[in-house]
Amino acid sequence: MKGLCECEIIAQSEISPGVVRTLLTGPEIANEAKPGQFVNVQVARTTTDPLLRRPFSVHAVYPDQGVYSLLYVMVGRGTALLNKIQPGDYVSVVGPLGRGFDLGDSPDAEHIVIAGGCGAAPLHFLCDDLCNKWGCEKVKVLTGGRSKNAVLCEAEFRSHGVDVAVSTDDGTYGHHGVVTELLQRYLDNDAQRTTHNAQRPFRIYSCGPHAMMREVARICAEAGVHDVQLSLENNMACGIGVCTGCVQKIKGPMKNDKSGQNWHYERVCKDGPVFNAEDIIWE
Amino acid sequence: MGIASPDLSVKIGKIEMKNPVTVASGTFGFGQEMADFYDLSRLGAIVVKGTSLDPWFGNPYPRTVETPSGMLNAIGLQNDGLESFLSEKLPFLRQFDVPVIVNVVGQSVEEYAEVAAALDKAEGVAGLELNLSCPNVKKGCMIFGSTPEGIAEVIRAVRKRTGLTLITKLSPNVTDIVSIAQAAVEAGSDALSLINTLLGTAIDPWKRKFRLANITGGLSGPAVKPVALRMVWQVASAVDVPIIGMGGIMNAMDAVEFMLAGADAIAVGTGNFVNPMAAVEIVTGIEEYLKATNISDVKKIVGAVN
Repeated sequence: MKGLCECEIIAQSEISPGVVRTLLTGPEIANEAKPGQFVNVQVARTTTDPLLRRPFSVHAVYPDQGVYSLLYVMVGRGTALLNKIQPGDYVSVVGPLGRGFDLGDSPDAEHIVIAGGCGAAPLHFLCDDLCNKWGCEKVKVLTGGRSKNAVLCEAEFRSHGVDVAVSTDDGTYGHHGVVTELLQRYLDNDAQRTTHNAQRPFRIYSCGPHAMMREVARICAEAGVHDVQLSLENNMACGIGVCTGCVQKIKGPMKNDKSGQNWHYERVCKDGPVFNAEDIIWE
Repeated sequence: MGIASPDLSVKIGKIEMKNPVTVASGTFGFGQEMADFYDLSRLGAIVVKGTSLDPWFGNPYPRTVETPSGMLNAIGLQNDGLESFLSEKLPFLRQFDVPVIVNVVGQSVEEYAEVAAALDKAEGVAGLELNLSCPNVKKGCMIFGSTPEGIAEVIRAVRKRTGLTLITKLSPNVTDIVSIAQAAVEAGSDALSLINTLLGTAIDPWKRKFRLANITGGLSGPAVKPVALRMVWQVASAVDVPIIGMGGIMNAMDAVEFMLAGADAIAVGTGNFVNPMAAVEIVTGIEEYLKATNISDVKKIVGAVN
C-alpha cells in the first residue's frame, strides 16, 4: 500500500544560479524508486494557495542511508516555496509515482543518455542504474544547456565513469550548438564505422525541453533507432492517475473505440512520464 | 461522558452508507489507483468517473490549471465507455465492501437511458449519479441540467429504465438552482448531489493566451466552498430528498459544515489530489467531532445549523 511520507529536508543547495538540489529522508522512496519516477511534494503545508502538489523527478537515491535527492529549477511560486523550507523541517511527499525508464535486457546494447538543462535531474539516477546493470563502458551521456551554467550534473555523470559530451547553445562550454547535434554526429559516425547489418543496438533515454526531445525522436527515427524513451512533462493536478488532466496524444486507436480515430490520450503521471518516442504524436 | 462510537451510517435512497463520506466523480478514477493508498471499503460509497455509452476521447491539453485556492479543469469526460466499465472496472470494484455509484454521462436523452438500463442489470452497482452538470462538453450534461425542463426530460427517460437509486448532480452555473432541484425531484430523482464545478477561465498575461485549450473549465477546490455551502443549504431547505454535498471539502470540519447546512452525505473531490488520504481522514475526523460534541448519530447534525 502506498501512502504519504513525511520527509525531512536535510539540506538544500543552489548548485548553479536558480538550480537547487534538495536532500530528503525517505527510506521507502529511496528503496523503491526507479529511474524516471517522480514524487509529488506539498510545498506549502499551512495554506491552500498554492493548492496542488508539485511533481519532481527523483534525482538520486541512497537506499543505505534512506535518503534521496531532487533537483529543480526555481521557475515559479511552488519551487520558490520549496526552496524556503529549512533543513530539519518536514514536507509531505507522495511517491514514487509513474512509470520510469526500462533499462532493457540486452547485454549488447549501447545506452545513450541525452539531457537538456534541468532534464538532467532524472538522468543522473538513470546513469547510476545503467552503470550498475550494464557497466559504465556501455553508457554515453550527451548533456547540453543554453549556457555553461545551465549544463547540469556534468560532474555527477562523470563520477559514474561514463563518457560525457557537452554542448551549449551559446558556445560558452563544450560543443557550440544544441545537444541533439551531438546525437546526430554520434549516430552518423557509428553508421560509418559499422555496416548496416552490424549496427549496434542503441537504447536512447532523454529528458529535457519539448523541442529537444522532439528532435531526439526525429533523429532516432531517421537513423532507424527504435528503442527511444522520453520523459515528458505536463501540468499535473493529482499526479496519481485519477484526474486525467496531464495527458499526451499517443498513436493508435482508443480501446473499444468505433469511430476509427487513430490516436488516444494517455496520462503522463500514470502511463508515463516515460514514453516510447515512436508512440508520441507531437504537436 | 462521551459517546464511545457514534453511528456514522446514512442512507441515500436505497443506498446504505456505513459513513457519510464518498468521493466526487472524476477525482477518484474507477478506484484502481486509489486502492494503492487505502482499503476502499473504508468509504461510505464510491462515485466513479463519468461513464458514457461509447469511449470519449476528452478535450485537448492543457486540461488543468491551478488558481488561487483552487483549480480549473476541462478534462471533457474522457472515459473508456460502458463496455470497459462492465468488463474491467466493475469487477475490480466488486472486491470491496462499498456501494458503487456510477456517474452517467451522455450526449442525448437516449444515451443516458441506454447506459442506465445496462447498469441496472449489472451486479455490484448500487446507484446512478446522472451527470447533468459537467461544463466541459459541447453536448449533453450541463446543457440538459441548465433548465428545469431539460433536467426533467433526462430523469424521466432514465427513471423508466431503472429501479436503481437515482442521484442527480446539479450545476451551480444556473440562475436558480432551487427550481432545477425541484424539477429533478418531481421527475423522479431519489437524491441530489451538488455542486459540480463553477465555469471559469484563466489567462496567461505574458503570452496573451487562455491557459486551458478548451478556454473555459470548471473551478473546484476550497475557493468554491462558500458558494457550494450556500447552494446546499438553499436546496436542502426546499426539497425532501437526501443530498450529497460537495465543493472544496478538504477536511472533516469542511464536511461537518456541509452536513450542518443540510447534506446527508458529503463527497471529497479536489481534496483527493492534494491529499490522497483525505476521504478516510475525514471519516475519522467526523467521528471525532461527534464524540467531542457528544452526538450519538451523525444524522442528527444534518441541517442542524442554528
